[in-house]
Amino acid sequence: MPAGLDNLEHIVVLMMENRSFDHMLGGLKVKFPQINGLDGTESNPDANGNMVQVQPTATYQGQFDHDPDHHFPGVDLQIFGGAPPGPGRVANMQGFIKSYATQGAGGNASHAIMNHFAPEKIPTLTTLATEYAVFNGWFASIPGPTICNRAFAHYGTSFGNVDMNMFLVTEADRARIPTIYERMEEGGQSAKLYYYDQPSSTMEIVNLVKDQSLFAVYSDFVADCQSGNLPAYSFIEPNYSDHPGPDGGQLLATDQHPDHHVLAGDRFIAGVYNEIRGNSDLWKTTALLIVYDEHGGLYDHVPPPNCTPDGFTAAGAATGTGFDFKFDRLGIRVPAILVSPYIPRGTVVPGTEDPAQQRIFEHASIPATVTKKFLAGNDRGTVREQQAETFLDLLGDNMRPDDDCVFFNL
Amino acid sequence: MAQKYALTKEVPKFDDQAAYNHDRPISSLIRAQLLHLHTAENLVLPRKARTGININHLLTERQASEYIQKVTSLLHQNGKAGNRKVRAAGYAKTAGKGSKRARKAGVGRA
Repeated sequence: MPAGLDNLEHIVVLMMENRSFDHMLGGLKVKFPQINGLDGTESNPDANGNMVQVQPTATYQGQFDHDPDHHFPGVDLQIFGGAPPGPGRVANMQGFIKSYATQGAGGNASHAIMNHFAPEKIPTLTTLATEYAVFNGWFASIPGPTICNRAFAHYGTSFGNVDMNMFLVTEADRARIPTIYERMEEGGQSAKLYYYDQPSSTMEIVNLVKDQSLFAVYSDFVADCQSGNLPAYSFIEPNYSDHPGPDGGQLLATDQHPDHHVLAGDRFIAGVYNEIRGNSDLWKTTALLIVYDEHGGLYDHVPPPNCTPDGFTAAGAATGTGFDFKFDRLGIRVPAILVSPYIPRGTVVPGTEDPAQQRIFEHASIPATVTKKFLAGNDRGTVREQQAETFLDLLGDNMRPDDDCVFFNL
Repeated sequence: MAQKYALTKEVPKFDDQAAYNHDRPISSLIRAQLLHLHTAENLVLPRKARTGININHLLTERQASEYIQKVTSLLHQNGKAGNRKVRAAGYAKTAGKGSKRARKAGVGRA
């Protein structure tokens, strides 16, 4: 077993909000050609049929006052360009501007959906992507919104949901498909879900109702890192809103959901990384995954591949397209970066651009990986989990020296 | 952290006061979270402990965060008090429809 895996004691996942791979990392391709980003010729038609190219002109805030559509019908339009569901339909990724125009972003305002960040504007994310491992082929689990995508990270399924309605899971389903946290507890392993603070809370309300002891706040994560008391598995949620702080101050949202300030989120990512990096014992025994729940309606050029159906079906009335969805296609690509001193600098995990070597990941890869590491032999994972790629093989034998691993100055 | 690092990267500061806007209208995500918490408080909390807040009146991030904080705190307190029993009848999943209690409470779908 490689030393990186042998020494691994903690997996930490930070799941951010609503930004696509190309929007955040596409600009890296110019300097790092292995990264399946943008070459500048990618385009989409607008409402008048004019082709609008991608531009490195994304700003931290103010371009997406109208929230881009990330619900199932809107994402269907983005992927298929408006062609109705049916045999032979081709994913052409040509419907993003059309989709954004339906959200009140008229005229040239709809073109903003094609903007991406110049890498230097989001230094934490782009540094981590090139210093550690970036995934060319990490996709949202379903072509839809936040709640059901996050469910794949917690349960390995969304129980047939493609929307944002609360899925009050039946007791039968809960018994059959426990969360990764419940499985960790049953297996004698520790796990914690850290939300930012109570005014932000968690999106995982079903589990908050069921087991409050699973939850802690971000300041507890900081304390746990500093004291060396991090659980085996940690899931971190960023701050979902601008709200007053406990001492009368102002707390900025750090989730990067449009139209929250993107640099605030970049600094939050740096903070999480620094907490692990700053404890030398933790640094050499932890793998940190930074991933986004879904693309947020923002442009990406890579068609999502098919996947193993998970046994549920969302009826046409629920999908909003009039057609059933059998959970047999992944959602749009999202940024995903794995951090560990056991990962060589510049690691790029190939995706669909390299059919011979491709490795396709989605959020079910998270519980699948945690299960593989901490619960070997646990077979209660869902169908999608059991089929999912896991990522700890990226941890090698050689630990990079301390002076070769970045620390962020905030 | 006092330790010095050989390899560092600056992450710039910015005018966070200018970026802050707690009067920003809530997104569909936060609207969904409000609905979920409203459903949770009606299912889990004793009637006397519920907030009685109509979430349809919560339009800004500040307003939403105040409600979210209240209910999250109540759910934690309720859990510590050992009152975690969830009425089975109200907990059944109805796919894509939302709960009957949510509809009775006059809560729209997110």
